[in-house]
Amino acid sequence: MLKLAWRNIWRNKGRSIITIAAVMFCVIFAVVLRSFQVGVWENMIHEIVGNNFGYLQIHEDGFWADQSLDRTMDLGAVNSEELLAVDGVDRLIPRMESFSLLYHGSNTKGSLVMGIDPAVELPGLQLDDILLEGRSFSRDDSVIVVSEGLAKYFNVGLGDTLLFMGQGYHGATAYGAFPIGGIARMTNPELNKQLVLMPFQKAQYMYNCTDRATTLVVAIEEDADYEAVGSALKGSSAEGLEILEWKELFPEIIQTIEVDMAGGRIFVTILYFIISFVLLGTVIMMVAERQREFGILVSIGMKKTKLAFVTLLENIMLIMGGAIVGMAVVKPVQFYFKYNPIDLSGQMKEAIEQYNFEPKLYTTTSFIINLNHGTIIFFIGVLVSLYAVVKIMKLNPIESMRS
Amino acid sequence: MSKAVIEVSGLHKVYEGAVPVKAVNGIDLTITEGEFTALKGPSGCGKTTLLNLLGGLDQPSSGSILIDGTDITALSDNELIDFRLHNIGFVFQAYNLIPVLSATENVSFIMLLQDRPKEERLARAEQLLKAVGLEGKEDKRPGQLSGGQQQRVAVARALASKPKFVLADEPTANLDSESTAKLLDIMEQLNAQENMTFVFATHDDRVIAKAKRVVSISDGKVIDDTAE
Repeated sequence: MLKLAWRNIWRNKGRSIITIAAVMFCVIFAVVLRSFQVGVWENMIHEIVGNNFGYLQIHEDGFWADQSLDRTMDLGAVNSEELLAVDGVDRLIPRMESFSLLYHGSNTKGSLVMGIDPAVELPGLQLDDILLEGRSFSRDDSVIVVSEGLAKYFNVGLGDTLLFMGQGYHGATAYGAFPIGGIARMTNPELNKQLVLMPFQKAQYMYNCTDRATTLVVAIEEDADYEAVGSALKGSSAEGLEILEWKELFPEIIQTIEVDMAGGRIFVTILYFIISFVLLGTVIMMVAERQREFGILVSIGMKKTKLAFVTLLENIMLIMGGAIVGMAVVKPVQFYFKYNPIDLSGQMKEAIEQYNFEPKLYTTTSFIINLNHGTIIFFIGVLVSLYAVVKIMKLNPIESMRS
Repeated sequence: MSKAVIEVSGLHKVYEGAVPVKAVNGIDLTITEGEFTALKGPSGCGKTTLLNLLGGLDQPSSGSILIDGTDITALSDNELIDFRLHNIGFVFQAYNLIPVLSATENVSFIMLLQDRPKEERLARAEQLLKAVGLEGKEDKRPGQLSGGQQQRVAVARALASKPKFVLADEPTANLDSESTAKLLDIMEQLNAQENMTFVFATHDDRVIAKAKRVVSISDGKVIDDTAE
């Protein structure tokens, strides 16, 4: 039966090639589309979360909801040793994050101020890698690094001084004046417009938060699963602290991803509908051209179920072939655009930046996408092939032989 | 006395429509083992319909058809397919071979459906192809054979399942004189050697001349039944 099915595939090469090509291109289009969509998000999460904010953060209980400096944590009361002993935790990165009104000349702007220790920071805040000009700072420095967009806004350069005015711990006034030691380009467009980086101790001092921090970013070991690390941390004696995963920290990212993915799913569904009709066309063509033969086979004693099985087997082989070829052919494309993302320009770039996304289109190389779409299209193909099964099961041998 | 293979009584087949057509109109017929019978008559007389009814391809409007004692009108669709597989061999006007299979595979295919072992299938296919004079053509596909050769493969296929009888609908209609003569000789030989029962629907005089019994049909009725 397998031999018969195999040979039947090649009796009408044109039809078989159309079927294989239709499935193949559908898999390729669907996978490319979803790879870009998922790739862009993967990259954004990696950039924003992995390189800047961390997949896990520790705060004083209730801080994230309130975002008040009154809920900063006392670093002396945190059992760092126990937290560091959790499997997958590489290091704890203290940060002092708040907002300040910045002044320069007659210009003002509300900005995000981040007190950091560059020596232990995440890759996105490794100042030497992101500086456009100037220098990084050490713990004892008094200079700040401003983001490129902020420097442009104030029209300031190295050596210029920015004034800070805000609210500190327990209602204290937080103010300071810091010279600009460096200008950096942040990969995240929103941060690039408003971020000021300063030495951690200087930020503590300015906000009247000596020995305190708003955040302990948990740097996880490479290949460690942040969800597992998060669960382990929550199970440790981190009393009075909240341990939040990035999805809890930035639910708006998840919502945006879900909305975007839903749009992509609609597009892919339309693609599936198109391929369904293309495949149905080839199946109808096959049934029509072999109607007579089906009649003969049933006449000489071939059970309709067996004939339907052989016909289904033919289609399964064709569709599976197309799906496998499609899944394989698209792989190099995924790899290419993963490492050579498409740079967006013009209005498209501006539109993307408005949403604080990096204006580059990356792909993901996750094979799960290929497997998912290959499998979905395969099942669509099998479903469409049931048309032939239904026609065979209803077949009248005499009428078929007359056709 | 030879055993009756086919017993038909009171057989009617009416095609319903605006004007009902009585394709078979009260036929009683008995065909015994080893007969070489031709059903003759002009086009539209009902001989192909009768053949289809005998082969269980169509259901009569009334009457009974006993094949080796089994009333095939009472069988379900699936039972009929199975019955055809084990009891009836078909030879069609247009050969109707499976184009993607070789001559040997076409002949052995029906035995594959009967779940016979591979060695038996190949041996019988080889023997039958030899019997119909197609030695050396075993690996040829239908497209590589002439019309006469294809029809001989069809005859070998019809016999492959060791049926109780062979129904042949206008088997020579598409053949030239030489191929027709060769095919008829082969069928006559198989009839004589294996006591195989053949029933032809034909209006080819060359076939009628070889038949040992000729049943003439007109307007769905038997009007003459002459045996040698």
